[in-house]
Amino acid sequence: MFEIQMGPAGEVVMAGRLDATQCDAALKFLNSVPKLQVIDLGRLEYIASTGLRVFLLTQKRLKGLGSELKLINACPQIHDIFRYAGFDQIIDISRASA
Amino acid sequence: MIEQRLSVASEAAQLPVLTRFLKEFWVAAALPPAESVKFELALEEVFMNVVMHGSPGAGTQVEVSVILCDGGLTLMVENEGPAFDPLLLPAPDVAASLEERKVGGLGVFLVRQMMDAVSYQRVAARNQLRMTKRLTAGVDSPRLAPSV
Repeated sequence: MFEIQMGPAGEVVMAGRLDATQCDAALKFLNSVPKLQVIDLGRLEYIASTGLRVFLLTQKRLKGLGSELKLINACPQIHDIFRYAGFDQIIDISRASA
Repeated sequence: MIEQRLSVASEAAQLPVLTRFLKEFWVAAALPPAESVKFELALEEVFMNVVMHGSPGAGTQVEVSVILCDGGLTLMVENEGPAFDPLLLPAPDVAASLEERKVGGLGVFLVRQMMDAVSYQRVAARNQLRMTKRLTAGVDSPRLAPSV
């Protein structure tokens, strides 16, 4: 189960499992958001390499537009996966406050 | 030792079926919840590799086994088809700049990070990938107590 929608403050909110079966839909949604910047990962429970690709492609696209992603509220497991992949070096990602 | 096995068609749409299989095993064996994501990721990466690289045609099956033994959990993914060893994929450059960053090979790289041991074998025209990791036994997981 994966959900992606707009939050109250113009941020994108992701929840559930961003697995290989959900990536196309997630990317399509992100591509449709004007002035995309903040994505709240607070309820994202799972991600693998195909999910990381969604963030990589989006970050590349935004950089081309002179902007960049800001991922917030990542749980420890999700944050670890970004870190293992070295994605914390190329995308601004912050953990949920304890 | 507890072992369970499931066979699914080699197609991406079967991924949720495998995830459910692993999660049900997890609950039934009372394994520590915090360790689950690492195995879910390993299973997805290896299964998707088979789907993308290892399937000669429709109707191909992928067999997944979960084996719990002496406090360690092993995932085994097997398929018929041309020999394909994902462990030979070049490692990604995880320090590359954004412009140069690629995702190819990242899945296997993550699996190696998450697991204690990963090995490939070609057995009777089948690809067999084994991934093992020791589980940190919690006080509430008596079934993980070391066997005497």
